[in-house]
Amino acid sequence: MSDAHQIKGSRLRPGKSVRLDGAAKQALEVGRNRLILAGCLITLAFAAVAGRVVELSALRDHNEPMLPTAGADAALQTGRADIVDRNGLLVATSLRTPSLYADPSEVLDPARAARRLATVLTDLAVPEVEAKLRTNRRFVWLKRSLTPHEQYRVNALGIPGLHFMDEWKRIYPQSSLVAHVVGYTDVDDRGIAGVERAFDDVLRHGREPLRLSVDLRIQHIVRQELARQIGLFEAIGGTAIVLDVNTGETVAMVSLPDFDPNLAGDMSADQRFNRATLGVYEMGSTFKIFNTAMALDAGTVTLKDGYDATKPIRISRFTINDFHGEHRWLSVPEIFKYSSNIGSVKMAMDVGTDGQKAFMGRLGMLQPMSLELPERGYPLVPSPWRPINTMTISFGHGMSVSPMHLASGVATVVNGGIKRPTTLLKTTGRVVGEEVLKPDTSLAMRKLMRLVVLDGTGRNADALGYMVGGKTGTAEKAGGRGYARKSLLSSFVAAFPVHDPKYVVLVMVDEPKGQKFSQGYATGGWVAAPAVKRIVERAAPLLGVAPVNMNAPEIRRDLLVDLPDTGGKRLASF
Amino acid sequence: MRRVTVLWFLIAACLGVALFMVKYEVQDREERLAALHREILANQEAVHVLEAEWSYLNRPSNLEAMVRRHLHLVPLDTTRLGQIEQLPMRLPVLPDAESDLPQLAGAGEAAMPAFAPPTPLPRPLTISLKVRQ
Repeated sequence: MSDAHQIKGSRLRPGKSVRLDGAAKQALEVGRNRLILAGCLITLAFAAVAGRVVELSALRDHNEPMLPTAGADAALQTGRADIVDRNGLLVATSLRTPSLYADPSEVLDPARAARRLATVLTDLAVPEVEAKLRTNRRFVWLKRSLTPHEQYRVNALGIPGLHFMDEWKRIYPQSSLVAHVVGYTDVDDRGIAGVERAFDDVLRHGREPLRLSVDLRIQHIVRQELARQIGLFEAIGGTAIVLDVNTGETVAMVSLPDFDPNLAGDMSADQRFNRATLGVYEMGSTFKIFNTAMALDAGTVTLKDGYDATKPIRISRFTINDFHGEHRWLSVPEIFKYSSNIGSVKMAMDVGTDGQKAFMGRLGMLQPMSLELPERGYPLVPSPWRPINTMTISFGHGMSVSPMHLASGVATVVNGGIKRPTTLLKTTGRVVGEEVLKPDTSLAMRKLMRLVVLDGTGRNADALGYMVGGKTGTAEKAGGRGYARKSLLSSFVAAFPVHDPKYVVLVMVDEPKGQKFSQGYATGGWVAAPAVKRIVERAAPLLGVAPVNMNAPEIRRDLLVDLPDTGGKRLASF
Repeated sequence: MRRVTVLWFLIAACLGVALFMVKYEVQDREERLAALHREILANQEAVHVLEAEWSYLNRPSNLEAMVRRHLHLVPLDTTRLGQIEQLPMRLPVLPDAESDLPQLAGAGEAAMPAFAPPTPLPRPLTISLKVRQ
């Protein structure tokens, strides 16, 4: 109180401040301190904000894009990546299609709606649709993937409770042409077979098209020629393969009968079966390519040696005889040319069981193919591998491999002896391989294969100018009990041009019947060799293989096989 | 003092109006951008569908049928293929051409007059209807 009186009492003069003391002074001090503290805090906060503004606008400008980039990723997102052939033609793509579904709770009159819907979508069954529309769920599929026309007509019906949802549907523009290579997907866009299955993850998450090694033009030629032979010889099916021997790329791969992947739902098991890679067969005489290469590579014979093929070989209850029996001493080229079983058996026995097993293993005949397909057959190999197996395998019985194995093995034999993995994807650059045969063996085998076409069982495959060399094979299919004489597997495997091999062609026809024009024969030389000839003639210009003058001296010299003087040897062997 | 206040007020008003206009301009442009993106996507999808149709129509079997129906082409066999070496390199010398141009060209060039008719090739190089029949 006294302080207040003092203030009132004294005159205030400028320059003289008010002085307080006691409790009031203390309260003011506390207030001022708090004010300063709060001011400092606010200043700090503002400084932080200002600092951040400077940092964002001035210092971090390299992180801020100079140009707006919104929507730069306006690329079409399809459900699955495309698959294209080696020239970029579409093999599989995804298109947006409307699918029809219903919300049953919104449907007023299920019976009437089902009846009216069936007038537009004729493949729907009225009772089934009605049952679906009466369910208690909020969502039922009525039909997947409608055409735009169907969608328009369903819309025009104006039934409440029906809705469309866009879905990606897999389309195969080439229909059945590459059916077994590309495979197919299920209704939910998951790969089920073929490349679609093997590369399911890549296709599902990638955007870049998957480029196959298959050439659609060659594939078409191969399929057409194979179908023609199957028709001519009333066969039940067949398979044909074209391989690039220097890269291991599969240029064409056909298995008939095939299917349309667009209608994958309604195909038979026979159509779905891939004879080229999943089927394993006893190949017959085409295996003599491997048998002869094995003997030449092991050095147990040379092209000048030979064996006595006068008498059939009897072992336990089997008799091994020759189909085109010559009944005399045969040189190695003759054994190959006449496809002598007796000679082949003797050649294999000289190499021995272990040698044969090791050789087949080196060629990859004992494992499934290295190929980007889920459908790969496991070779049927004898176990244990007895001498009798060695004998039968020498002429292609008692061991089953897929046609792809055979084609790949022949590619290894002719390309200088380098084994490369077979692939369905386009490769660029050089493909490294593993040398499993001597280059000399490869050259000798090419000469022998040319001999078969020039002057042996494969004359029907001699495409003018393209230097085809190959080997026929006619195997009797193993039936329920023993071998069925009438059901054959006729094949021809060829390499061209044989002086500098580029491609291997394999044609195999399943159960051809002898025809009048073929004098009742259904052998590889009659059934498969003409198809190989036409495939080579039609495909070589597309594959960039130029024809050569087959009578040119340098080419004749390169492929000359001097047959030993058989007359003298025959006398000597008696 | 009053003048400065008016000036500031004017500046603030102008900035406000400018900001308002820029904002709407940006909004317009963004809408246009989005519309363009939608259009691009629609076009890409249309192209995609057309590509599928193109490759469907270009099936080798379809092409073959069309060629059979409309064109007179035959398969390319070996007799229709030649090599560069098979072409005649030097055209025959025309006696009067040589006498006309002795002083214009050197000896080597004189052997190859520009207007000499080409010699017939050993093999037919064109694909004709006759061969097909």
